[in-house]
Amino acid sequence: MSFIAKLAEDLCTGCKQCIFACPEPNIIRFNGNTKKVEFYIDKCKGCGLCAEACKFDALEITLA
Amino acid sequence: MIPKISPGFEDVLPVEYRELVQDGSYGRNLRIKDLGTFKESIEEHPLCAGCALSLSIRLIVASLPCPEDTIVVGTTGCNSILMPQLAIHNIHSLFGNQNAVASGLKRALKIRYPDKHKDVVVVAGDGGTADIGLSMTMHSWFRRENITTIMLDNEGYSNTGGQESSMTREGVVLYMAPLGKKYPKTRMFEIARESGCAYVAAVSPASPRRLEKMVRRAILVARAIGPTYVQIYCPCATNYKFSPSETLKRTKDDEQIREYMSSDAKELIERLGE
Ligand code: SF4
Ligand code: SF4
Ligand code: SF4
Repeated sequence: MSFIAKLAEDLCTGCKQCIFACPEPNIIRFNGNTKKVEFYIDKCKGCGLCAEACKFDALEITLA
Repeated sequence: MIPKISPGFEDVLPVEYRELVQDGSYGRNLRIKDLGTFKESIEEHPLCAGCALSLSIRLIVASLPCPEDTIVVGTTGCNSILMPQLAIHNIHSLFGNQNAVASGLKRALKIRYPDKHKDVVVVAGDGGTADIGLSMTMHSWFRRENITTIMLDNEGYSNTGGQESSMTREGVVLYMAPLGKKYPKTRMFEIARESGCAYVAAVSPASPRRLEKMVRRAILVARAIGPTYVQIYCPCATNYKFSPSETLKRTKDDEQIREYMSSDAKELIERLGE
């Protein structure tokens, strides 16, 4: 059983707070065109720090 | 020096390295605000979920004034498992030797590249810096070596199962310290200041902009004036038994932000607009 972060893209404002909270490199990337974040989720450890940091409820931790 | 792929090797180089050359941080003057838009490390690392130490290393790497001309000297500890994944030159030294190795390296680089800045930055844990390597750390400060020392303070020996270090707080009980620590945390900030560091700072990854400013200042002062020290508070979810999702809240609650600079360092920082 493992956990991963899940993004609700419509709620993302592109504030990047999740990027500054994630301990893992290269998972959360900022898309300059959409001005939202994207997740390269296979490296996610499901720690939940990004979801804690997001003030817009755009992230939750779910079962992989 | 900005790496390039030798012609003819593009298709045989592993994709992680190709990405690094095409999309890495070298020569682009990137900062923490740019995280998420460039390739930060070669591959993923095996540190625990929610580790404050690995977050700190991401932030340190994004703060370096000149990543392509930086050499990180590390030593044994949780962080040493991550170091080889960094997209930066790094050396692993024997436990406790890091500041001695960094001193020699910096002196050699000054001779080899007299017209260039090569930043030598020690990144080590609290055990490596304040216990096992304390004498070598302090002597590098006494000798006024032009190196930056960054301590990732997770307040214990974490990758050997949770023994107390001199940076563990008084009274704390850990898996391998069942009776609780009997004496207070070592005052490394004061030791660094009194041992001749021109710039000393304490911060945590819960304040990324401040961390960036302090790491940059420490490296720029080390280039021009003398030794510098930054202590980064990185609580360990695994050994302090809290949920990884609480790491940043705990870090924020307990962080101490402090800064000391000598008059020379202050003048330099003002002149550089840092
Ligand atoms: S913190 Fe939330 S709103 Fe901000 S970029 Fe991340 S997912 Fe989007
Ligand atoms: S759950 Fe943890 S590892 Fe996964 S994206 Fe969020 S902060 Fe990064
Ligand atoms: S044991 Fe603690 S410091 Fe070491 S990797 Fe795990 S959370 Fe990080």
